[in-house]
Amino acid sequence: MAYLAPAEFVTKMVDAGESKLLMSTRDTLIRSYMAGAILALAAAFAVTVSVNTGNPLIGALLFPVGFCMLYLMGFDLLTGVFTLTPLAVFDRRPGATWSGVLRNWSLVFLGNFAGALTVALFMAIIFTFGFTEAPNAVGQKIGAIGEGRTVGYAAHGAAGMLTLFVRGVMCNWMVSTGVVAAMMSSTVSGKVIGMWMPILVFFYMGFEHSIVNMFLFPSGLMLGGDFTIMDYLIWNEIPTVIGNLVGGLTFVGATLYSTHYKTAPKRVSVR
Amino acid sequence: MSAGLQVTLGQHSQAGRKPVNQDFHGAMVPHGPLLASKGIALALADGISSSAVSQIASAAAVRSFLDDYYCTSEAWSVRRAAQRVLEAGNSWLHAQTQRSPARFDRDRGYVCTFSALILKGREAHLLHVGDTRVYRLHAQALEQLTEDHRVQVSSVESYLGRALGAGPTVEIDYRSWLTEVGEVYLLATDGAYEALDAASVHAALARHGDDLEAAAAELVATALERGSQDNLTLQLVRIDALPDAQASQLQARREGLRLPPTLQPRSEFEGYRIVRELQLSARSHVYLATDLASGQAVVLKTPSVDLRDDPAYLDRFLLEEWIARRIDSPHVVRAGTAERQREHLYVALEYVDGQTLAQWMVDHPAPSLDQVRGIVEQVARGLQTFHRKEMLHQDLRPENLMLDRTGTVRIIDLASTHVAGLTEGTAEASPQAILGSLQYTAPEYFVGGSGTVQSELFSLAVITYQMLSGQLPYGLQVTRLRTPDELKRLRYIELRSLRPDLPPWVDAVLRRALQAQPGKRQEALSEFVQDLRRPGPQYQRQGASPLIERQPLRFWQGLTLLLALAVLVLLWLRVTGT
Repeated sequence: MAYLAPAEFVTKMVDAGESKLLMSTRDTLIRSYMAGAILALAAAFAVTVSVNTGNPLIGALLFPVGFCMLYLMGFDLLTGVFTLTPLAVFDRRPGATWSGVLRNWSLVFLGNFAGALTVALFMAIIFTFGFTEAPNAVGQKIGAIGEGRTVGYAAHGAAGMLTLFVRGVMCNWMVSTGVVAAMMSSTVSGKVIGMWMPILVFFYMGFEHSIVNMFLFPSGLMLGGDFTIMDYLIWNEIPTVIGNLVGGLTFVGATLYSTHYKTAPKRVSVR
Repeated sequence: MSAGLQVTLGQHSQAGRKPVNQDFHGAMVPHGPLLASKGIALALADGISSSAVSQIASAAAVRSFLDDYYCTSEAWSVRRAAQRVLEAGNSWLHAQTQRSPARFDRDRGYVCTFSALILKGREAHLLHVGDTRVYRLHAQALEQLTEDHRVQVSSVESYLGRALGAGPTVEIDYRSWLTEVGEVYLLATDGAYEALDAASVHAALARHGDDLEAAAAELVATALERGSQDNLTLQLVRIDALPDAQASQLQARREGLRLPPTLQPRSEFEGYRIVRELQLSARSHVYLATDLASGQAVVLKTPSVDLRDDPAYLDRFLLEEWIARRIDSPHVVRAGTAERQREHLYVALEYVDGQTLAQWMVDHPAPSLDQVRGIVEQVARGLQTFHRKEMLHQDLRPENLMLDRTGTVRIIDLASTHVAGLTEGTAEASPQAILGSLQYTAPEYFVGGSGTVQSELFSLAVITYQMLSGQLPYGLQVTRLRTPDELKRLRYIELRSLRPDLPPWVDAVLRRALQAQPGKRQEALSEFVQDLRRPGPQYQRQGASPLIERQPLRFWQGLTLLLALAVLVLLWLRVTGT
């Protein structure tokens, strides 16, 4: 299993961020749509496992399959581009600008949301037999999660908002570590092992992942969770997105870039 | 792995009923690397019978072709190498004619026909002038691959329309096609082919099996029996084995080399002492080292861990030093040391003490036109040496241009170079893959076209624009292209809006070099360089470009506003009834 030296994988991170900025609108949307859909499916799978076994650890242990799938297929999550694309601007890559970064983030957000919503609808159909029956045990559980993680935070007011934000930060710290860990190895097995560990941590700890939530809450609403769309947006999605952005950028992107890239020997000659 | 290209040859020539044999033939089957880079060549020439010296012409044509073709650059394609050699041969023959008494009579000079068949890789290449013929053998018939350059005067009389040595220049027919194992080709002069048919050829081949020499001799004898009046020459070649379609020529070399370990400063590696790391990236590891034998500073480049399993990357890696040895220009990096036996896969290049153009641009945010011209001209000269060898650099960007302390610019990183002579007959024959930085890659690569000299002009013009303004001429629009239709939608950002101090013609020159369609750009790098120094009148229309061209959106918005106002006025007039 090949292990890449930090200096080598950090240049890979910057290159990856740059290539995402250069990508056409069509590709960006397709890749983010698929990423959102696959991650949503994995979330549905993990909740099902947890409900059926009664042990959330097993659900968390298996959740990373979704993340591995979408990474290996080259799809993009908002959490990943939060970390990677700003690096191209930091490194002054030609043509890399903040407006380009914002464009990329908006497109990936839209794609992820559309993908997650599609799976949310499909899963709601499955859980309720095409909206003809009351949701099954898994469906009820998803509705309850939706309630607890919106209205539950709202009940605590500002403290709830802070908790939500910090959970978002912690989440993308772990998830982006997974993205970076996948770059450390050049083999599929190495990439999978690298991704599995941090993703497992985030899911079991119940940190707030903006794309997983794009699935959980809309399906919660469809499955009769007692909260509104505004509850979801204000008391979950928006703070989570901001928390994810801060977590990925500060704890992963900027730190690795400044310690492993900027301190690399001065580049004066033939590359 | 297959054995590579293998053929069986058979040739025979005879004066026949004439006193002198004015035909001349030859074949060259080289071994080792020359077989891969240049292939197998067969050549046949027939001197015109009206001339008493044409046997000298035919011998010289064949000999010089076979000698000189194998001395041309390996980087050249077969077509270019063979045509250049034939043009030289033609000039020599024509000069001989001009110097002899025959200069007043075109039927008595040093004139001959010429046909050559070159087998390289899986392809066959045919070069032809005159009325000797090349056939491909089929089960029942002979397929004539050449066209007789004969002008028919009457039903019995005709003369040679084109021949080697007949004029100061000559037009040479060329074609190439993929060959298959078991195919047999036949080259013959008119004395032989006019008296032979498919049946007799097949009969001779069947009788002699693998002994093509005997088959050729028998066919010549048959033709003579049937009453041929001319010299008779016949060459047969059968393709017995072809190189593997997928295996690159570099694979064998690569397999003999180990991948180097990560190198540590002060350690020794293959006769070099590592001084320090210059750059570790996901593409390659670059070290400064000294050659222990000469004490010279060199740059060693080893494959990155990330790409060690990518055969195409390793092939390009192996090629870099090979290219550096073949390009002799003060503006292109040289190979580090003399070729030596090596155990590992690495590249040794000359160490250039200086800064990259990317760094230079940071230090000089708003350079004068003259500073930029000085750099652009040097890069263009470096690129021209690539183009003369039928190579395309394909990865031109500021990080790959080094300025040394004297201000001399060198192009470094040759790993993405496309070499026509190495790729013909393979899947990569036309340069299509994007190997360089996307921001500097010409639009045709993004929409499925292949790279040309004009693509390199585009990259150079992007760098010129970036040096002057710090921005890219199309932003990131080019990198997001997907289909040829989208080319029309590219919007060039006026340089004048970023550098109002520059004369307007600079914008015009750059805009032309940055056209989305390669055909609309300057034809050559030299033209672009010249335009930057002495712009022609077409660039001099000072600010005369109409509003609709400069700001089409504003134009239409303004026009629509005017129309809307007119409508309002008319409405008002109608309402008030005046």
